[in-house]
Amino acid sequence: MLIGLMVCLHPSRTLSAHGPEHVPELPRPACEHVRYGHTGGMAWTPGRGSWVTTHAPRTAQSVTLPDSLDEAVAALTAMPAAVPVAGGTDLMTSVNRGRLRPAGLVGLGRISEIRGWRYQDGHALLGAGLTHARMGRPDFAALIPALAASARAAGPPQIRNAGTLGGNIASAAPTGDCLPVLAALEADLVVAGPGGARREIPVSHLLAGRELLGPAELIGFVRVPLLHAPQVFLKATGRTGPGRATASVAVVLDPARRGVRCAVGAIAPMPLRPLEAERWIASLIDWDGERGLADEALAAFGEYVAAACIPDPVPAAPGEEPEALPPAVLHLRRTVAALARRALGRALS
Amino acid sequence: MSNDAATTSPLRPEGAPPADEAPTRGLGVSLPAADTRAKTEGTFPYASDLWAEGLLWAALLRSPHAHARILSVDTSAAREMPGVRAVITHEDVPGDSAYGRRIADRPVFAADTVRHHGEAIAAVAADHPDTARLAAAAITVEYELLEPVTDPERAFEAEPLHPDGNLVRHIPLRYGDPDAVGEIVVEGLYRIGRQDPAPVGAEAGLAVPRPDGGVELYLASTDPHADRSLAAACFGLEQDRVKVVVTGVPGATGDREDPGFQLPLGLLALRTGCPVKLAATREESFLGHAHRHPTLLRYRHHADAEGHLVKVEAQLLLDAGAYADSSAESLAAAVAFACGPYVVPHAFIEGWAVRTNNPPSGHMRGEGAMQVCAAYEAQMDKLAARLGVDPAELRLRNVLATGDILPTGQTVTCPAPVAELLEAVRDFPLPSLPKDTPEEDWLLPGGPEGAGEPGAVRRGVGYALGMVHMLGAEGTDEVSTATVRVQDGVATVICAAVDTGSGFSTLARQIVQDVLGVEDVRVAAVDTDQPPAGPAAHGRHTWVSGGAVERAAKMVRTQLLQPLAHQFGMSTELLQIADGRITSYDGVLSTTVMEAMAGKELWATAQCRPHPTEPLDASGQGDAFVGLAFCAIRAVVDVDIELGSVRVVEMAVAQDVGRVLNPAQLATRIEAGVTQGIGAALTENLRTSRGLVRHPDLTGYALPTCLDAPDIRIVKLVEERDVVAPFGAKPVSAVPVVTSPAAVAAAVRAATGRPVNRLPIRPQAAVAAATARG
Repeated sequence: MLIGLMVCLHPSRTLSAHGPEHVPELPRPACEHVRYGHTGGMAWTPGRGSWVTTHAPRTAQSVTLPDSLDEAVAALTAMPAAVPVAGGTDLMTSVNRGRLRPAGLVGLGRISEIRGWRYQDGHALLGAGLTHARMGRPDFAALIPALAASARAAGPPQIRNAGTLGGNIASAAPTGDCLPVLAALEADLVVAGPGGARREIPVSHLLAGRELLGPAELIGFVRVPLLHAPQVFLKATGRTGPGRATASVAVVLDPARRGVRCAVGAIAPMPLRPLEAERWIASLIDWDGERGLADEALAAFGEYVAAACIPDPVPAAPGEEPEALPPAVLHLRRTVAALARRALGRALS
Repeated sequence: MSNDAATTSPLRPEGAPPADEAPTRGLGVSLPAADTRAKTEGTFPYASDLWAEGLLWAALLRSPHAHARILSVDTSAAREMPGVRAVITHEDVPGDSAYGRRIADRPVFAADTVRHHGEAIAAVAADHPDTARLAAAAITVEYELLEPVTDPERAFEAEPLHPDGNLVRHIPLRYGDPDAVGEIVVEGLYRIGRQDPAPVGAEAGLAVPRPDGGVELYLASTDPHADRSLAAACFGLEQDRVKVVVTGVPGATGDREDPGFQLPLGLLALRTGCPVKLAATREESFLGHAHRHPTLLRYRHHADAEGHLVKVEAQLLLDAGAYADSSAESLAAAVAFACGPYVVPHAFIEGWAVRTNNPPSGHMRGEGAMQVCAAYEAQMDKLAARLGVDPAELRLRNVLATGDILPTGQTVTCPAPVAELLEAVRDFPLPSLPKDTPEEDWLLPGGPEGAGEPGAVRRGVGYALGMVHMLGAEGTDEVSTATVRVQDGVATVICAAVDTGSGFSTLARQIVQDVLGVEDVRVAAVDTDQPPAGPAAHGRHTWVSGGAVERAAKMVRTQLLQPLAHQFGMSTELLQIADGRITSYDGVLSTTVMEAMAGKELWATAQCRPHPTEPLDASGQGDAFVGLAFCAIRAVVDVDIELGSVRVVEMAVAQDVGRVLNPAQLATRIEAGVTQGIGAALTENLRTSRGLVRHPDLTGYALPTCLDAPDIRIVKLVEERDVVAPFGAKPVSAVPVVTSPAAVAAAVRAATGRPVNRLPIRPQAAVAAATARG
């Protein structure tokens, strides 16, 4: 099933395999020659044979381009050192900087089953290969508005065209814009494993490191509940153009369960959920009526969320004055409070 | 962005001929750049695209520490790696082991001490870039870590970081009566961050050994002859055996090339006998080249009750990084312009440039002048607030004019239409509030998908006046040589002035078109076999090289017209060249330039050397500058006062340009300068922690994007010709960079009521209570 898909750049070769006196034959590519990283263009030239070329890139020995999720898992099983790559927006920066030298790559770009979404008992089953650009479009925004907003805010168009939902979860950068939205939505991941196995884990478990992806496991889909209610994602950045979040807040309303769910991103290694603040504010909302809240209540919610996410320092000993937070942290707390207040205000308006 | 601004700008005055009848060549027209097509089609020869048969790749080992003693360097593991052809350290430098612009204080490779993060220790040449990098990583260096000196205020009493000591230069400027006092005194402490030139393309180069034992360096150099001299001294070769060939420069706003990688490149080529190429990563680029001087400024302004300045006292501390580089010149500019374009009867300015273990500082557009502009303009705002006077009005009461004296004792002899500039931006209509347009179309601080909320946004308007010197200062020999050749109706300009994106090559074509009436003018590629033209800095090529090209072209013109004049028995002065035709004053002679040139090959070489300057003396006095340029900017900003996010809405610019030589190019230069200034005002700061550069990438170092760039309105260009400058034109690129950060800060101050004494403006400094301005 993978025959014809294995694209060899060069046969496996390690640095120590050849001494300076050994001149290897220039290997002929097995089939399609995929250029990858610095191929440079200089090959070893016969006749100049006094030195060995190490020109054959050791960065990637093989690139596999499977057509289905199970084929991808099989390729990873066959070559455990290979790295799966979807949009490559995070992976390739590491490769280009020389921080990551994958022995092989499994490209997920041709797996059509994970590039769209479908409905499944009140949920949307989102393919992990959905790009940010696709998620930002109006039809998707009508379905899951906060996820669409976070996808639109995720970076410049070039990045959004390439970067995927699954990649955002797998790299789990603290500033990943989709992550607080998924945490607030309490999304589940459908993970594909060897032998066609599928298991579900909550996205928060993966982000918190409570459950990890096993070897040769891939995020296939993200199961997101369809709540049919307002959702807001807000992000504070350092500039007007696209930039990394200094703080982000997702607020989703769940009228069926009469709940408000909020997650704060970018201020900690994983999105934070202020559960007490959520329960408190949900109890104030008139779910059968106007749903509006007084400005004071919105402001109090913002403060509550911010204090929960960025708590005051605990005094070293009982009775002592706690250390004051540094100005930058106080500003971050103010930012989170303003974002949470604005987000809830917009969700309820 | 500024299409509409261009139509309202004075560049196209009313009554000008419509576009199809307008002249298409010569001075004063918007001749497009010749390399535009090559750049858009991808054929422009950027240094990173260079190639040579059998080339090797170089990689540098850079210090991971800011300050450490090197105990040992073991290169054996790297040397034994297959594919590695050479590994060199400080022991392998045949010539001078140190280099520097004024003081040779910087080692090619660190020998016993590393003084900043990213300092080069060794270099490797291998047959693949990855091999080279792996080999560089395989070099084992044993360090003894030393305490880094990162606070410039501590540099005075710290252990010397360098045999030359920690003080690079001290200028105590004394002008007027030290006992003078004003009725009103305002004080302030200001900090300016570390801006990076962030060139579009990272540094790259190729070194090719020559059969005669010399070497050719293919670099995107901005000063090829200086780079050649440094290289020859380092390689221990005669100057004529080292040649620097300038390949396509992808834009430069300062020193885009760093000798720290050029020299190892040449050494490796000489060592291996093979061409060697190096293409820096963005991270290396951030670590290697020079930055804008982070500056600490302490000011005290004295004024009388009417707001006339009485005395300015200031202390300026420039962080030079580990090596002197051009810090002495930056300090001179900072001290000389510390009071701004205002009349100040008494001034006492102490300036220091000191060594630290921070990243190196050096030449960058508007160096020195930009830092002080942010501070003196903040002081003027404070003074206006104290007196309850409109900030623009207070400035108008103090502005400088031609004939006034700078605190350095130099009389301003060039046009200085500062009041006219300020009035122009003040009287320009303010941009409308977006309240009448649909809310979806508003671009709020934080961007289109940001968190901006209209209720929390406050608008502010601020003014700034800036000044900058042109050409090298303090006795630098500013000279440029150019050759013009005409054959078969094609003129060629041969001049070693590098076009860094400043548009010099376009200007050179316009000059020759203007003088000779030839349509087809080409500018030859630059290398060091041509006579020197000096560095592409301080707008000097417009002036010095432009002047040399004009003189050479005029000499060719005389050669061309002499036989005709002789034939008709008149002097060449009675003949004129216009629209490609040669006509005599009386109309008897009328022929085309092409006919007159047929079968001839004409050459002429000329030099341009502006009048000399003198260094500042022990009390900061002296005629140090050839010329000055001025600019007034009014910034309009929107601030989200809860999040502290700032969006610049509009920048209205009025500038003193002498004469407009190429309107489109001029507008581009001003827009680029303003945008770079906005970067310095809001986002650009290369942060360090204990001397180590944090986030050396373009994600962590946020440059302005097109969404951050505001509407830039060129309100007025004052064309008052500077009689000493060729064509009367003043260079235009630097002064908007100097002025715009101060204008943005003033506008944020107006919007928030906060002091804003630090650049870039941090969000927490732009947060205000909602009641501050209702």
